[in-house]
Amino acid sequence: MLSRISRHLGAALEPSAVRRGAPAARLAVRVAEVEAEVPPPEFNGRDYAIFLLRVAAEIEHALMVQYLFAAYSLGGPNVPEGRQADVRAWQETILGIAKEEMGHLVTIQNLLTALGAPLNFNREDYPHGSAFYPFGFTLQPVGLDSLATYICAESPKEWDDEEAREIKRRAQADTGAPVNRVGDLYAELLGLIGDQALVPDSAFDAASVTFQASWDEWGRGYREGQRGREAMSSLPDLPAPELLIIEVGSRAAAIAALEQVSEQGEGFDMPEDENESHFRRFLAIYRAMKALGDDVGKVVRPVATNPTTDPAAEDTGEPTDADTPTSIVDPEAKLWAHLFNVRYRKLLVNLSHAFELADDPADRSTLSPRGALIHRTFSEMYHLRAIAGLLVGLPADGADPDGPRAGPPFQMPYTLMLPHAEDDRWRLHRDLLDAAARLRERLTKPGGSGDGQDYLVALAQWDEIERGQVEQLIAGSARALAVNGGPLT
Amino acid sequence: MIQELRVLPPLAIARFGAAATPLDNYDAVVDPERPLGHRALRPAETLEVDVESGEIVRAFVPERLSFVEDGKVRPVAPFLEVWALTDGGQLEPLTTELLESEGASALELRWRVQVANHKVSRRTGVEADQVEADSGEFSDHTRRPLAGACANFWPGQTIPFGHVQFITPTAAHPEVRLRFTPAAGFVYGASTTPPEGPPTDPNLRSVVYDASPGRGTWLGYQDQNEPTITVPGGIYAGDREGRSRGYLDDGCDGLVRVTLTIGGEKLSAYGRVGAGPPTYAPDAVPIRTVADELEQALLGPTVTSAEATPERVEEIVRRAFETVRLMNTAAMNQGGMAAHDQGQGRRRDPIMAPSLVDAVALENLHQSLLVALRSGTAPWFADVLRDYDEVGDLSDRGRRKMPAMMRGADGQHLTLTRRQIDLIRTLMRGPIFPGADREIP
Repeated sequence: MLSRISRHLGAALEPSAVRRGAPAARLAVRVAEVEAEVPPPEFNGRDYAIFLLRVAAEIEHALMVQYLFAAYSLGGPNVPEGRQADVRAWQETILGIAKEEMGHLVTIQNLLTALGAPLNFNREDYPHGSAFYPFGFTLQPVGLDSLATYICAESPKEWDDEEAREIKRRAQADTGAPVNRVGDLYAELLGLIGDQALVPDSAFDAASVTFQASWDEWGRGYREGQRGREAMSSLPDLPAPELLIIEVGSRAAAIAALEQVSEQGEGFDMPEDENESHFRRFLAIYRAMKALGDDVGKVVRPVATNPTTDPAAEDTGEPTDADTPTSIVDPEAKLWAHLFNVRYRKLLVNLSHAFELADDPADRSTLSPRGALIHRTFSEMYHLRAIAGLLVGLPADGADPDGPRAGPPFQMPYTLMLPHAEDDRWRLHRDLLDAAARLRERLTKPGGSGDGQDYLVALAQWDEIERGQVEQLIAGSARALAVNGGPLT
Repeated sequence: MIQELRVLPPLAIARFGAAATPLDNYDAVVDPERPLGHRALRPAETLEVDVESGEIVRAFVPERLSFVEDGKVRPVAPFLEVWALTDGGQLEPLTTELLESEGASALELRWRVQVANHKVSRRTGVEADQVEADSGEFSDHTRRPLAGACANFWPGQTIPFGHVQFITPTAAHPEVRLRFTPAAGFVYGASTTPPEGPPTDPNLRSVVYDASPGRGTWLGYQDQNEPTITVPGGIYAGDREGRSRGYLDDGCDGLVRVTLTIGGEKLSAYGRVGAGPPTYAPDAVPIRTVADELEQALLGPTVTSAEATPERVEEIVRRAFETVRLMNTAAMNQGGMAAHDQGQGRRRDPIMAPSLVDAVALENLHQSLLVALRSGTAPWFADVLRDYDEVGDLSDRGRRKMPAMMRGADGQHLTLTRRQIDLIRTLMRGPIFPGADREIP
């Protein structure tokens, strides 16, 4: 899979940059190379734009997951009392950035839809190492080194002062190579999509908007297009996340979407006190954590790096090595980790299925399952948060109870492809509910309470409700086929 | 020695019903195995009162609950108990034994109940439109009707507001109690000529209000845009032009006073009663109730960290999905506040994206909040709650804040109480995974 994509990134790419397991990316090199020939051989302009958007989707997805993991690692019993409010604010800030990355991911899907391309909710998994990522995919607790990589990935091109050099050095030492800027990819995309000779007007399908995600549906109570002057009410003085979910029906809309997404990451030109770009927000946390000195380790839970349910990882490397997965071998923690993965897959299936169902703005009378899928996507986010909370309290290895905590593994499903027929899609939902039920039953302790047992009882009922609805939809889809003279007649 | 008296509860809310037998007691409880289901109604100890003697003849737990009797709704008829503050600040039920120890008896207690319905007067501003009932002072145990009289009623006409009865203490039930039984829940009418025979309007129990020239103005009354009008305006039955149809109801509220003279010293106390419509969804609790208002008035708009427990936040979330369960969200998204906002000068748009307002899907979404909270994670949804100073924010985002699609008592978009919101935010400010923190050595 990797080679199918990397071979289009140019001959100038150093061989070491794309080796499996190498955390470094060489996007800057790639950009320099491909500028000489755009589009590269085997592409036309539209197809190359789709190719790069798919890369962007994977990057946004990966960043979102890594930031979520980082946020969940903050806190714990060792946080000095006077620092608890700060740590909570950092956590909320990183969660906010992760939410915004999800907005980016959804907006990229809109761009793909506008170009008539398949959606891409894929993402590199570990073992990792990809030429497209700004840094190697690593789920790790927050630290100055990881923050340095996030800052560099989100940094604007012109960022180059003494502090910048220090942070870049730290990031490079952590990842083994310079961290590439996400902004370079968006700059490439902007150049490509802005060029009518490469991507003609006819490439943009205005009618596809009905299949795209809108802020009305996905924005919830977050801010839309209002730059962060509103304090987040729950934590004073903290800006609420600004979800960019932009519908794209034209070249102008596509350019505006890419500019806004890029700007939200880099945001170099805004006054520093607005504290709003990802770059600025990560930089502020970095400075604050650096000021903690030796206490920096007290504000983070000892969560395992790259936790995985994969037993093959047991014999490889040191658990603290950023490149090495840590197997969750504690039986209970492992079951929770599997349940986490099933819910993660349910989230991705809900998300991609929602994109398959049109929202007809002219028809306000018919309710479609699209809305329910959107709600369930959010519900699965809540479940991921809940199970992550349980996982960071369990040892990765029960034989080492004081060792690293298990963390949310975020392992990608074997496939993200949806079945072609609508009733088969609902059967996939049912399969996942069955898988979740099997894990829930193994985790349930008769008469138990605490340790997630109350959660399991409530989750079982919630899944049972969803299963009933899915069964109805399967039956309904079958009936619709029968009525329409489909294959079931 | 009795120092002071108290009437408890200090506020009792009755519910209309035309059946002869009041509703039995029950608790609405959450099944721990079905935390997302409807609350189960569990019969609870009920006191049966003999109408003639006023005695409690039976204390029992009903086998099953029935909200109707012979096709009529059973009223909720609360008891008000007299408690005594005795030496050392002890609060204890006032019983015949305690009275005897003071050399007094139950017959020396003096009751007086005054209730009223000022709804019409609040609109018209006319004192003569106030409907009021006064039991007068009494000490015996016969039922005392509460006949609502009004200067603008036709001669001899009243609205029955129900009745009260001083419960006869017995050896088995020596406590001092009064029971308030509310009205049936009927509607009364107005006419410009003296009423003759049964009313022709099928909504009406009888015609009581004199709207003849020079008398009451309620029939045909129309709200004007004046600052004295209770907000929201137009909350009365009217015709297409908003002219009042002259309806009155038998709801009321008022005071129950009790006095006792011991050793030449007169002790007194009072409680409040009110009567409102029956609950037709007894297994659900609305997201904001009078109880929330009273709690905020009593305890203030903020909570302490100790008060901000996950259980309390879960109860708010549970009430949210119970409220959604009772809403026609698809219709309310298009009408309701969406239409109301048009009256405020906004374009009439649906509040939410129409694809999102399927009631079942919304209920499921709210249920999933509760499910996740049960893992011990801190609440995370405080950002989407509407603050008290955002009720007039008619932007898309403002209208989509929670609770959505409902109107508050001020006619603007509903909010939770400040105390409810602070409860959620206080818990949110704590550790994100408090349970996990306990696990780590």
